[in-house]
Amino acid sequence: MGTQWWDFTVPTLGRADYQAVFLANGQTYFGRYYDRIGAYAKIEDVYYLQQSQGSDTDAAPETKLVRRGRELHSPTARMLVPKSSILFIEDLTDASPIAQFMKQDRS
Amino acid sequence: MSAYTAEIDPVRRAGRILRWGARWVAVPVLAGVLVSGNIDLRSLPLIGSERETAVLLLDGQAYFGHLDDSGETGTLLLRDVYYFQDAKSGPTGLPVGLVLRGQEAHEPADGMRINRDKVLAIERVRPESAVGQAIAAERALRGTSVPFVSLNRPAIATRDALAPQRSATEQGIQRGFLTAAAQLAKLNELVLPISKSEAQAIMDKASGDLRTVRQSALGAIAQTMRMSASDAEAYVRTTEAQLDRSAFVADAGVLLAPDLNVIVTRATQLYAQVGDGAAKQLTQPKAAPSTPPSPSPAASSRPSATPTARP
Repeated sequence: MGTQWWDFTVPTLGRADYQAVFLANGQTYFGRYYDRIGAYAKIEDVYYLQQSQGSDTDAAPETKLVRRGRELHSPTARMLVPKSSILFIEDLTDASPIAQFMKQDRS
Repeated sequence: MSAYTAEIDPVRRAGRILRWGARWVAVPVLAGVLVSGNIDLRSLPLIGSERETAVLLLDGQAYFGHLDDSGETGTLLLRDVYYFQDAKSGPTGLPVGLVLRGQEAHEPADGMRINRDKVLAIERVRPESAVGQAIAAERALRGTSVPFVSLNRPAIATRDALAPQRSATEQGIQRGFLTAAAQLAKLNELVLPISKSEAQAIMDKASGDLRTVRQSALGAIAQTMRMSASDAEAYVRTTEAQLDRSAFVADAGVLLAPDLNVIVTRATQLYAQVGDGAAKQLTQPKAAPSTPPSPSPAASSRPSATPTARP
């Protein structure tokens, strides 16, 4: 319970607006990453890549960027991720199409 | 020559004011900013609505419940746990069904300790989400009472909020019924190694069995909704008539409360058993022509009166 109340984030200067967080299970989340004090890191305004196969099974699967929150449990914008599950984190440049999509989607 | 008086020395006075300001203004303000900026007010106990948490694991499984994680140990504790079960081939219109943890073969007690190293992410479930509503409905169906004092007061659906759940359950039962009936009809179109009259007898018996399964499933809904015996009887009669009369429209899927999901799942299994039994009888040539036809499904596959299978 305690880890949910307290939200001490480590201040960072000069970082990009959005980050890509690569996780141990191969999944990647995009959003605003915050390094919290404690066992968890925080990602806000989370997006992820979703692949779907169209009617043509020979064609390459379609990949789209999906905003987290429309799942069956309608999660809130804040996601806590155990630091032990994170492989690495990268800043997204302003020119990144993913960053631009997220910025546009949020505005 | 004037004597030096510390009380009126402007430098000392400024120092005193600064010390007082630091102690009684700056420090409390800084502490306030620090604390308020670093506390998630919605996560505090006794504030706001229920805090239902989704714990997503590295293996893809998701568990929902009341999370207790002090951060001190390597595990986190989840109580009142629900999880998804695959339901891709089911008639609910959704790829998953919700299950209440505790009804498995080993009947685990409440309180699941999850290794934090296996957790992918933790999210807050919105009360108005499909999962939040199904859990609230399940508590209402089970007659869960809200404790007078609780750090995380559980949300319980009102009687009105149960209506969409009941309707979606009826639709799930009817979808399964129509699918099974359509499969039976297709079977009858095949070239069969038995006579037409024998085939018709088998079909009539199977159709009757499908109706019995549907009736039992509706009875189970009434029982789960805690209707009186007379109300349940009236409910089953009128709902059956409605389902038969109305042109069935496949609505968007509703995530059912676990107890209602069990009814739909069990009814679907029984429909399949009836269909399989009929298919076997229709397609198997009889060994001796003198033997009378045996249209009823095998004893073990006969639909039970109460489709209350546990997941």
